[in-house]
Amino acid sequence: MKTALAAIIALGVSLGAAPALAEHHEADNDRVEQFAQLPYWPGYWVAENQAGTTIGGIAPAILAARETGEFPTNFMNLRGANAPWNEEGLRRLEEARAINAGRKATGWGFPMMMNAATPLQFTITPEQVLIVNAYGEVRYVYTDREMPDEFDLWPTVRGTSVGRWEGDTLVIETIMVRSPIEYFHGAPPFSEEAHYEERIRMEGDRLVSDVTVTDPVTLTEPFVTQVSWIRDEGFDRMIEIDWDNDRTGVDENGVNTIEMEVVE
Amino acid sequence: MRFALAVAAAFLIPLGASQVAAHHSMSMFDTTREVRVTGTVTQFQWSNPHAYIQMVSTDAQGNEVEWSMEMGSPMYLYARGWRPRTLRPGTVVTVRAYPLRNGRPGGVVLDVTDEDGNTIGTNQ
Repeated sequence: MKTALAAIIALGVSLGAAPALAEHHEADNDRVEQFAQLPYWPGYWVAENQAGTTIGGIAPAILAARETGEFPTNFMNLRGANAPWNEEGLRRLEEARAINAGRKATGWGFPMMMNAATPLQFTITPEQVLIVNAYGEVRYVYTDREMPDEFDLWPTVRGTSVGRWEGDTLVIETIMVRSPIEYFHGAPPFSEEAHYEERIRMEGDRLVSDVTVTDPVTLTEPFVTQVSWIRDEGFDRMIEIDWDNDRTGVDENGVNTIEMEVVE
Repeated sequence: MRFALAVAAAFLIPLGASQVAAHHSMSMFDTTREVRVTGTVTQFQWSNPHAYIQMVSTDAQGNEVEWSMEMGSPMYLYARGWRPRTLRPGTVVTVRAYPLRNGRPGGVVLDVTDEDGNTIGTNQ
């Protein structure tokens, strides 16, 4: 009797579970299909003119520029060296320049993390794209929703991003970025009202991004530039680094120098 | 924690009107001349924002001098074939570097060769 009861219960469970299991497999299959339709950008991407950065931290393009006297094109373009700054933009640049000596940052922030020698990794899923660098900075680019309502936004170092796929091109809209130059001294002085659009796609073995920044506070017209990346040699994993040995100090003449111990 | 980004070397040459006075600009190093220092490694600091080779060499007067040779971030070193134990205390190396402008015994590394004159890592 007990055996029969157990069999009936088992049968019941089995019969009840079958539709759920089928749905589960169906959902799995749907997801596999969704992934299959997405681009795949594996590897560790370094800004094109900074690939091959030496053990001294010097980009070969810069060393070459020293020989020719001509500054390389496509080098840290997002700094906005040639951006159409208005009076306020120029004022901010000058203000930052005056206090740059000795400044330290806690990361690259956006947009400069997209333009650094630091390798980037792009993890693409049906719901979001994660862009991660070796400094542990992560951009969450949601591709399954609209930009949050203004009430739900506040300025941050990497801003808030949503994305969409136009064919194989990832289009990212980013807003509410804290003024980048306040965070990293080599960054542009855009305001928190700036709107960033990136259009990222593969071109051969390169990743290319057309970037347009509009900012009524610091620009006279949209700043349009391009960033590209290649898979630099030698990176086969994201290198974990701790920030525990900053030995850069300031000497008696106010010039940076190397100290024997960590400089807090 | 405050830390310096290992980006300063990127700003090796003036950037025109919008030149960046980076926290760690290369202006601390004299990039117009190179030094070549041969000595014994006392410590290899695999650290961020910079790695360092601490080494002792003997100057022209026969005095021992400790040099601090600055390198990029470990991520660059790793990509160029370096590892935390690539240099061990007691190893004799020759470091080519841009020296500190203030005359202290230090510089930013251009390349490193072993006792046989072989370059360590790929550095390219």
